[in-house]
Amino acid sequence: MTAESYADAVDLVARSAAAYVAGVPADPADEGLFGPASVTWRVNTDPGAPIAGLTALMVQALHPLAMAGVDQHSAWRQDPVGRLAATSQYVTTISFGERAVAERAASVVRRIHEHVRGVDSVTGQPYAASDPALLLWVHAALIDSAITACRLFGTPLSPGDADRYTAEMVVAAELVGVPAGMVPASYGALQQYMTSVRPELRCTPAARESMSYLLEPPGLGPDIAEIWQDVRDGAVAALPGWARELYGYQAPELTPARQTEIRQALGVLDAVFLGEPGVLEARQRITLRMRSAARS
Amino acid sequence: MSKLRRPSRKTVAGLAAAAVVAGVLARRRRAGGRLRLERGLVAVRLALRGGVRYASNAPRLFAAAGAAREQLRNDLALQTAEDVAATLGAMKGVMMKIGQMASYVDDGLSPSVRRTLSRLQDSVPPMSPELAAGVVEAELGLPPERAFAQWDPVPIAAASIGQVHRAITHDGRAVAVKVQYPGIAETMTADLDNVALLRRMLRIIAPNQDVEALVAELRERIGEELDYRREARSQRRMAAYYDGHPTIHVPKIIDELSARRVVTSELSDGARFHELAGWSQEERDLAAETIYRFVFRSLYEIRAFNGDPHPGNYLFHGGGRVTFLDFGLVKHFTETELQPLVHMVRDLCVANDPEAFRRSMEAAGFLVPGAPLSTDVIIDHMAVFYETVRRPGTLTITEDYASKVVRRFFDLRSPVAAYASIPRSYVILQRINLGMFALLGQLTATANWRAIAEEIWPFVLGPPSTPMGRAEAAWLANRPTALMLAWIETGQPADA
Repeated sequence: MTAESYADAVDLVARSAAAYVAGVPADPADEGLFGPASVTWRVNTDPGAPIAGLTALMVQALHPLAMAGVDQHSAWRQDPVGRLAATSQYVTTISFGERAVAERAASVVRRIHEHVRGVDSVTGQPYAASDPALLLWVHAALIDSAITACRLFGTPLSPGDADRYTAEMVVAAELVGVPAGMVPASYGALQQYMTSVRPELRCTPAARESMSYLLEPPGLGPDIAEIWQDVRDGAVAALPGWARELYGYQAPELTPARQTEIRQALGVLDAVFLGEPGVLEARQRITLRMRSAARS
Repeated sequence: MSKLRRPSRKTVAGLAAAAVVAGVLARRRRAGGRLRLERGLVAVRLALRGGVRYASNAPRLFAAAGAAREQLRNDLALQTAEDVAATLGAMKGVMMKIGQMASYVDDGLSPSVRRTLSRLQDSVPPMSPELAAGVVEAELGLPPERAFAQWDPVPIAAASIGQVHRAITHDGRAVAVKVQYPGIAETMTADLDNVALLRRMLRIIAPNQDVEALVAELRERIGEELDYRREARSQRRMAAYYDGHPTIHVPKIIDELSARRVVTSELSDGARFHELAGWSQEERDLAAETIYRFVFRSLYEIRAFNGDPHPGNYLFHGGGRVTFLDFGLVKHFTETELQPLVHMVRDLCVANDPEAFRRSMEAAGFLVPGAPLSTDVIIDHMAVFYETVRRPGTLTITEDYASKVVRRFFDLRSPVAAYASIPRSYVILQRINLGMFALLGQLTATANWRAIAEEIWPFVLGPPSTPMGRAEAAWLANRPTALMLAWIETGQPADA
């Protein structure tokens, strides 16, 4: 392990934390797109949320055209941590930020997407990041992964809440340019949609490469790397079976004891995250707003 | 954790800023009256350097909120057992205890670990009045306002796995009631079962330590702390032994109002450790003498050692009178465990026999037998720990001396280090040793420590050497022996 590879890992925690803090407003003018009483806030504060993010990336990468866009246009190889931090800042801003700030963030993303187009070298198909079909896939993968991660490593959503969450999040898909009519608004519709896309999915070399990075980020200190193994096993366990098959991953045996271990590893990571400047205060702001909403 | 980050200028600046904030808070506390502000703050303890210096800190959100702070605390309060699990479960409570332990046993945590652990402390708000009341009712069979004549629903202090409320009993006694977080025992027990993860965390937090010994120690100590009945037993024993002592006071346990997750003891009031800074040196010396007598009398007479020498665990009343609080980390030694320690101090300080001292160290497991080291080198290494009692005469314990003890303890470059180790049952000793010297160093306490020690050493039992010693001798002459007390309490002779 070189000193430089440590520097990478420093960034992973510090930059995700900074992104998170930036996304949670101190004195918001409005309740944002969802509001503190929403299921969306509850899902985003669930202990399983980090696994939801990882699993979502792994599912999203299985669409060759979505993956090609990331692979050919983003600088993820040069700055993987920055790419992850930008994504998580976007999700945080959309979830907790003021309405106007969320809309501005989405318009930036839409503008970037305008330039992301090309031909996928694996399938030979042309793609455009602004294609509603691709955006919908990315959206649906996140919702589905979040619901599974809550079930396995956090507090499971009731069937009604899973429906509500899916319906609430329609607006997030609209923000990046998916017509509302295309977006599943219930958990059942979401599952149907996921099944319908399955024939288009495959594990391209780009997907395999980027996911190996994610599952074993180079430069993590040996001790954190061990804790990361638990988190990674959690993310693989939260994948739908077909996605695991496409990647060729073994299904990790998820005994109750193993589930507990993964939750504990998430707790340790969370404690490290809490040590970053501003994270505790941002959490407390969210808790206060959720409690105040629950009282009224 | 620590390995993720190398200490940077920025972290150092951040710590300096935290120290300034802590300083400001401490001044405000004096200006605003202790009780009111202690109510307003969750007592957050941050050992700044290897247990040598301490500072208090508070979540910036609370500090910034000013008058609204009380309201904020209420709004963030833990309302359900699920809130407790979210805040202290998934290893977080265990990590806090590791932090507490590491601050005593390691010579300085890395800045990033220290920051993580202190933020973790900050992240725990008090229980809501309803949640705390629920625990009291479950344990005592009555809601607090019926179990007690009066019950203050606002906690006065945070404990590591609970919080402290004031109350008045039906027979009119003012009491402190420690209430455990609901569900914490279950979640921490499950977390302690994940030994592999504990090992990893300890390797990061305390890289200079014997990790296996620490894991075992941590599991044992937390396991004990989760059952308040054990703490009540230790405190009852201490209170019984020191009953009537001229300067040492241990609050009595109220048995009928204590259970597994609730422990009720007499309420004490007095000056806090940080207030001693403004007292005369004479007063500080007397307080130090009492602490010293308490530590060694407890060890030699009742073979008990309080492993939590935190400055927050003392109340000072002037004239050397000290109230000792918090017996959650008391270690009871067997006669066999205690003997080698007695032999070592006798060999080195009284018999002045270095070879015998070396043999005693080997017998206790502190030193590999037959290590290729001259006895002079070993004595040279160990002497610092006995400096206060090796020769007659008065001596001032300074902060420099306290740091020297800490540094020597963890000096891995010493030729002795490779052959030295600390058997598990003695791990806790370093905590009180380092902690007590840190306290006495901050008091710049002067005394004839050797003469006081001789009063207590069972192989000397010297005459009283100070006015306090004379008062203690009078007390000793008029009380049943510790052995008898233990017999009465347990129904068995102490070593049966």
